Amino acid sequence: MSEPSHEPVDPVAWQQRVDRIGELFGAMIGTATEQATHRCPYKNRLDQCTAQFGCRNQRKPRSPGELKVCGGDDKLDYRSAWETG
Amino acid sequence: MPELSDVGNEFIRGEIEQFVARPDEIERMITLFSRASPALQDVAAALIDGDDEAVDTLTRAQLEAGVTALEIMDDGLIAGMALVGIKFRENFIFVPEVLACARAMKAGMAHIEPILSASGIDPVGKVVMGTVKGDLHDIGKNLVIMMLRGSGFEVVDLGVDVSPDDFIAAIEDHKPSVVGMSALLTTTMPNMGKTIDAFVDEGLRDRVKVMLGGAPVTQEFAEDMGADGYGKDAMAAVSLAKGLLGVGA
Repeated sequence: MSEPSHEPVDPVAWQQRVDRIGELFGAMIGTATEQATHRCPYKNRLDQCTAQFGCRNQRKPRSPGELKVCGGDDKLDYRSAWETG
Repeated sequence: MPELSDVGNEFIRGEIEQFVARPDEIERMITLFSRASPALQDVAAALIDGDDEAVDTLTRAQLEAGVTALEIMDDGLIAGMALVGIKFRENFIFVPEVLACARAMKAGMAHIEPILSASGIDPVGKVVMGTVKGDLHDIGKNLVIMMLRGSGFEVVDLGVDVSPDDFIAAIEDHKPSVVGMSALLTTTMPNMGKTIDAFVDEGLRDRVKVMLGGAPVTQEFAEDMGADGYGKDAMAAVSLAKGLLGVGA
């Protein structure tokens, strides 16, 4: 089966999209930086820990097979709880 | 003026209703999605949901159906990411969810990149990125990768705990212009220097520019380790990578 032919992309139009994505992601980096001052960046919206390393704030998962629950209270600097050994 | 009911996709309607509060943004989101075809609303919905497999399948199907790459970008991938940005800013989702959405966007972009290439549009440059040996912290690296990809770079992500040998193998396999290393721990920072030394030993140092980053890393440390530059955050890393390659920042 042959590959379908696609309309070529205009470089100027493409650059406009890259600029738009850069704006969106740039704003997200700003949000991430601000959030990291009070909330561990590894903690997802379900308050589960997505880190691949150990942390003293990790609690047992709500159900088997799920991610561990984050027990951090977001009041103290979470970084001291990360296990670094 | 279009209304919320003009957005056909139920999931997106719900997202706008639940997560977008500013009147100007509600209007912008409704305008954006109401003009999109149902199939491209599906692409956007899958991206917002962080479902990379669905974005992969739907994007490929749209291209096969003759929809242009730019239409998919505008009405699917970028439109979806715009809503993700609002949800993130308003603390409805957090960094792990945003990174899942970025992975979903990459899955869609994988089908668009060959069309860009065939149109004579090459990546800004190729970057190999990894967190150095002994270090499992990846959020900073992943945000840098998201930003680099969003700025038109091709990025090979080696993940965490990357040994000097793995970096060397990646340079030989992928032939990047830039190698980016990340470390969060003061105990693993010296592995950046060891990795650069290994590049020298293998005769590869002159083939790549090396940039370093991570919370404890400084400009002075990067210079001491023999790197070409230091990026204090994801935005700076993109500017640095462009600067190292001599392209407009």
